[in-house]
Amino acid sequence: MKEKIIDRGHYVAAPTPEGAVVVPVGQRLSLCDALSGPHAFVLEAGASLDLCLLAFPGSSTGTELTVDLVGEGAEASLSGLYVCKEGEFSLKVIVRHRVGGCVSNQLFKGIVTGSARAAFDGRIIVAPDAQKTKAYQTDHNLLLGVDARAETRPQLEIYADDVECSHGATVGRLDESGQFYMQSRGIPEREARVLQMISFLSPVLEHVPEERREEVAARIEQTVRSL
Amino acid sequence: MTDDNILLDIRGLHASIGDKEILKGIDMTIRKGEVHAVMGPNGAGKSTLSAVLVGRPDYTVTAGTVTFLGRDLLSLSPEERSWAGLFLSFQYPIEIPGVSITNFMKAAVNARRKAQGLEDLKPSEFIKLMKEKMALVQMKGEFAKREVNVGFSGGEKKRNEIFQMAMLEPTLSILDETDSGLDVDALRIVADGVNALRSPEKSAIVITHYQRLLEYIVPDVVHVLKDGRFVKTGGRELVDFIDRNGYDGF
Repeated sequence: MKEKIIDRGHYVAAPTPEGAVVVPVGQRLSLCDALSGPHAFVLEAGASLDLCLLAFPGSSTGTELTVDLVGEGAEASLSGLYVCKEGEFSLKVIVRHRVGGCVSNQLFKGIVTGSARAAFDGRIIVAPDAQKTKAYQTDHNLLLGVDARAETRPQLEIYADDVECSHGATVGRLDESGQFYMQSRGIPEREARVLQMISFLSPVLEHVPEERREEVAARIEQTVRSL
Repeated sequence: MTDDNILLDIRGLHASIGDKEILKGIDMTIRKGEVHAVMGPNGAGKSTLSAVLVGRPDYTVTAGTVTFLGRDLLSLSPEERSWAGLFLSFQYPIEIPGVSITNFMKAAVNARRKAQGLEDLKPSEFIKLMKEKMALVQMKGEFAKREVNVGFSGGEKKRNEIFQMAMLEPTLSILDETDSGLDVDALRIVADGVNALRSPEKSAIVITHYQRLLEYIVPDVVHVLKDGRFVKTGGRELVDFIDRNGYDGF
């Protein structure tokens, strides 16, 4: 019991990082970019954040996102894709529900190929008394090639009891039945792989602002074709 | 084997999945324009036969030969078999989220054209072809934008298979349990689509457990498959016999 109290103090009362972007009461902030390096946000009551991370090869070696939900009714939607060909990429996400009645959604998808290493470390923290919190987190990775490595560590720390939280993480390979289905229609193996990669990343595309979707879809296609 | 009318010739075909032998010596000759029905109880090897013909990687051919239009079919990759004119309507079509029917078919049609040394179809020609073939299986305009098989009902999945078949105009179509899970209306749409594609040059293998589909797509030859072998081959009268007596009599 004593340990748990120390934990609470440690995580929940952790200070908001300096230089955090404050999204004021009822305002909305939308970002869609490589977002390399550390980024912190504070969401006041009724504020919303739509963030979409686009980490294409060479554009970033890592991102660290910290989101503090400090006012009731705040909503954070964090999504993103990372495509890694070589070197290391790390994505660290901390979402702190400091008050109740807020929603956070996370959806990340990564393709890791060649000799690349990717690590996802995601933590959702729900403070004591932050009741009626809804927090979800998903991280899926597609591994291509025998030397590629992906590590995913989803974590929930919940100190309130009336909450709805879930997390899911996978590391997998291309679906063989889909591959065969396409080949049986005359689509060559390589092209079938390209379509499957586009298919895998497509749920993230839905989080890209509509006016940029076409451009990002083209970038995705160009990127997966080069893998 | 100098008969020019022979499309597919299967000789002594044995196939396994893992250590389990499923096909135990199949002989089958299909001529141009013929429709062959392969009927049999569950577990007889019907789906294995179709899987082996289109080159599904989890099956191993342990003996026998398959010649398709004079070529050794078993030495070809699945996509090469498609380019050669073979098509399988899947019993369980696969979902491909995030890939539209349009993009999927564009990749398929143009890959085959490339293999034939042709240029990509012009966008306007492609759209015209799509519309024409969609009408054949009564698919509406928004169908082209939908993700392949995602959220499709059972009937829509099977209509999508026949639509793809119409787009690719195969010389030999294999319909694997295309009737399973279809209501009468969907069955009729599927059968009408298949019948519209029949020609003296094109052939089909209709694999089914029941006689129902064969009321709409009338076969020239009927094979009864049981425990990996054809135990009886005959004319369409066999369909009625099976309907009355089941498979126990073979």
